[in-house]
Amino acid sequence: MTESRAFERSFDSLAGIVAFTAEFFARAGIDASLRPVVDLALEELFTNMVKYSRASGADVDIALTAIRQGVEVTLTDHDVAAFDVTRAPDVDVTLPIEQRRPGGLGLHLVRRMLDAIEYDYAEEGRRSRITFRKTLAERPASGATATTGGEGAGD
Amino acid sequence: MLAIDFGPAGSVVVVGRLDAAQSPVAQAFLDRVEGTVTLDCSALEYISSAGLGVLLKTQKRLLASGGKLRLTGVNRHLQDVFGYSGFDQLFEIEPAR
Repeated sequence: MTESRAFERSFDSLAGIVAFTAEFFARAGIDASLRPVVDLALEELFTNMVKYSRASGADVDIALTAIRQGVEVTLTDHDVAAFDVTRAPDVDVTLPIEQRRPGGLGLHLVRRMLDAIEYDYAEEGRRSRITFRKTLAERPASGATATTGGEGAGD
Repeated sequence: MLAIDFGPAGSVVVVGRLDAAQSPVAQAFLDRVEGTVTLDCSALEYISSAGLGVLLKTQKRLLASGGKLRLTGVNRHLQDVFGYSGFDQLFEIEPAR
């Protein structure tokens, strides 16, 4: 079961994205305990697209697919420069508060709280695509896997 | 949606979702508090990095004048986010019962 929807490139779209995800979880029978992390990942990745690709006027496509014990989410962004979210620098979360800055925390959290996240870029159409998965399965002790490439992304 | 207002004994009660769309509302409110402030999070369902930015900015400002922000009623999702971001080392946190 897959459903997709296009969202305007604006922070104002966040409420609609949350509603879309909630409705899909209910229809597909996905465990609701996964929602906060899925909402978090969608918000961080979507707002990154809004903030850093303002030149593009294209909507962002979001596709949700029910998978075993969880969900796979794909965000597709059009007419943008490449930015591999899986390679963004980590944040040093051990710094004292005087040296802490809020920047970069979103992707830092996403990479740790998901089961997997992948990035793929196509020159044709300057298309960025991020695919992530979250399931009830226990995460490996080393943290989320972060790989690049199109594995599992599907067209 | 997010609601933020003063509660009993000078605490601040935050209700709903502290996301990128709502964080300016929370920041505007918290910019007005002084001293040691208890932020009652028992009805705060969700926080993202935008919300973390609001808490960090407020904590820095309050610490500079001898106060601080205490977080109470923190649910499992919030605890996870605070843990992965290192905020559990920057704030006094009381988990939800």
